[in-house]
Amino acid sequence: MTSTAVTEQNKMDLAREMLAKLVDRRVLAALEVCVRCGICTESCHYYRSNPKLEHTPYYRAEQVRRVYRQFLDPVGRAFPGWFGAKATADEALSKLAETAFASCTLCHRCTFECPFGVETAEIMRVMRSVATATGYGPEMLIEIAGAAIAKEENADLFREIFLEQVKELEKEVQDSLGSSKAKIPVDQKGARFLYVPLAGAHTIIPQAIIFNVAKESWTLSMFDTANYAVFLGDAEKAKRIAMRIIKEAEALKAQEMIITECGHGYTAMRWEAPKWFGRPLPFRVRNIIEVLDEYIRDGKLQLNPSTNGEPVTYHDSCNLGRKGGLLEEPRRVIKAVVGDFREMTPNRLHSYCCGAGSGLVTAPEWTDIRLEAGKLKSDQIRQTGAKIVVTSCDNCRFQIGELSEHYGLNTEVTSISELTAKALV
Amino acid sequence: MSTFDMVAVGVVLAGAFVFIAGLIAILVTAQRRPYGTELAPIKGSPSRGVLWAFTLGLAPWAKESARIHWLAYIRGAIFHIAIFVGAAYLIATPWLAQIPEPLRLVLAVLFGIGALLGLAGFWIRLADPIMRFLSTPDDYFALALTTLFLASAAISAYTIEYLPAFWIISGITLAYAPFGKLRHFIYFFYVRVFLGLTFGRRSVLE
Repeated sequence: MTSTAVTEQNKMDLAREMLAKLVDRRVLAALEVCVRCGICTESCHYYRSNPKLEHTPYYRAEQVRRVYRQFLDPVGRAFPGWFGAKATADEALSKLAETAFASCTLCHRCTFECPFGVETAEIMRVMRSVATATGYGPEMLIEIAGAAIAKEENADLFREIFLEQVKELEKEVQDSLGSSKAKIPVDQKGARFLYVPLAGAHTIIPQAIIFNVAKESWTLSMFDTANYAVFLGDAEKAKRIAMRIIKEAEALKAQEMIITECGHGYTAMRWEAPKWFGRPLPFRVRNIIEVLDEYIRDGKLQLNPSTNGEPVTYHDSCNLGRKGGLLEEPRRVIKAVVGDFREMTPNRLHSYCCGAGSGLVTAPEWTDIRLEAGKLKSDQIRQTGAKIVVTSCDNCRFQIGELSEHYGLNTEVTSISELTAKALV
Repeated sequence: MSTFDMVAVGVVLAGAFVFIAGLIAILVTAQRRPYGTELAPIKGSPSRGVLWAFTLGLAPWAKESARIHWLAYIRGAIFHIAIFVGAAYLIATPWLAQIPEPLRLVLAVLFGIGALLGLAGFWIRLADPIMRFLSTPDDYFALALTTLFLASAAISAYTIEYLPAFWIISGITLAYAPFGKLRHFIYFFYVRVFLGLTFGRRSVLE
């Protein structure tokens, strides 16, 4: 056996091992229940934008299912031809990785359109884990996840830069509110909220303005909420990235962790992290939209919707909405801060993915794929006649901005926090 | 009881035994797999989610896919209803003579329609190039077995003399069910429960 063959054999062993470990009851049921009826075909934005075999949910899942039959199903192993089990080689694994990372945004839309409810996204998530473990994870995602871990390892080095940047941002907040008392607190022990932003002033300044107006007890996290290891399906790295912020919240004795407008960041911390660590987190986790909704309900913010007079539409981030349960909260806030709100059709549970989900936005080699997959979303936006698209996820925001340019939509993209800050009286 | 009748009873009982043993094996295997229990504080209602998963979540009018593929959806729904009624009918067959004739005729019509829809399944699978490409021999065999099961159920409900033939086909179908795609009927319940629990808890299905 040559060394290449040995390596390939090792990869196959690792793939088998990973699959055996990751196929839990939920994934097993998803693998076993599909009858290949084809009813889910048009539920996928990839297929709708470019109708071909590889873009059907059941084709994608079937590729993994055939590997599962070969590796884990005794009947499939005994009669591979009869049950469609497929001997997996290195090349097949590489193709499966490409399918899992570039041809599925794990948006879960097909699940709710399937007569059975097959969770193809869960199957693809497992495939991503297998691909990452066997060396087929996308380089860019690996680097970004690695950088997040490095930031914790070199926290002292980053702290100085961070504090300087916060001072600059604080000046902008003070200018905007016309008050030198406005603050962006850092390391504030006992604050009610630990607010976790993203890398970008647009996820700090508007929120800081709102917190100051609402007289909130809060402190800014030095880390950002993005957790790209989630997209890789790398549980260990995902845990390390999440733990940085958990430790920070615990050290500051924060009662709540407030996640900025970031789809995967919210879902990872709110719903997945307790599963990863095998325990509920010692503080409440909410999204900034829930806080804004609460402020408006409690009359803490005086708003003038006519400030945002142009027609506005809302794009449901799949992570925040279909996977995170924030479907009505963003709508209540938007209706309170804009004058002309227009829904896309379909929306909420049945909303289409913008095409950039689950890390697609990171890799330049996937630009054409995601712009093509986003055609359906751009058509939806155009039909509303909106001039402003609001979304609560930075990846969606980036993608919709590019879609606007690519498809000539002539729309601006913004967040709920920015619109709210603008509508403050 | 003729020799053929005795053979038929033997086949159906053997099939039922394999089916039950296979069913237990599937359930044990599935239950041995880990389950990622949701530990995050609840936002919605898991129980309402499960209720949704078995009611509104299956409603064709709530699904864009069902509106696009309404014919295939209706075909699938009636076909599966006929199979489930057929399974109940199989259990009741020892007392078939006591079942009133009008009811037997209604059942015969239902099973007959089910069998025709089974045949339609072949057409759907063969006519669509994508489905043809993805179909395995197991897909065709399972469809053939269930179609024969329904056809023989229809004939036996109409003419009681054909009951042994129905038992033989039922025995073969039952024996095959735990090994091929027919086992999806067990996982259907798992999938719907998981869907309801997960997304109900997250308040996605409110």
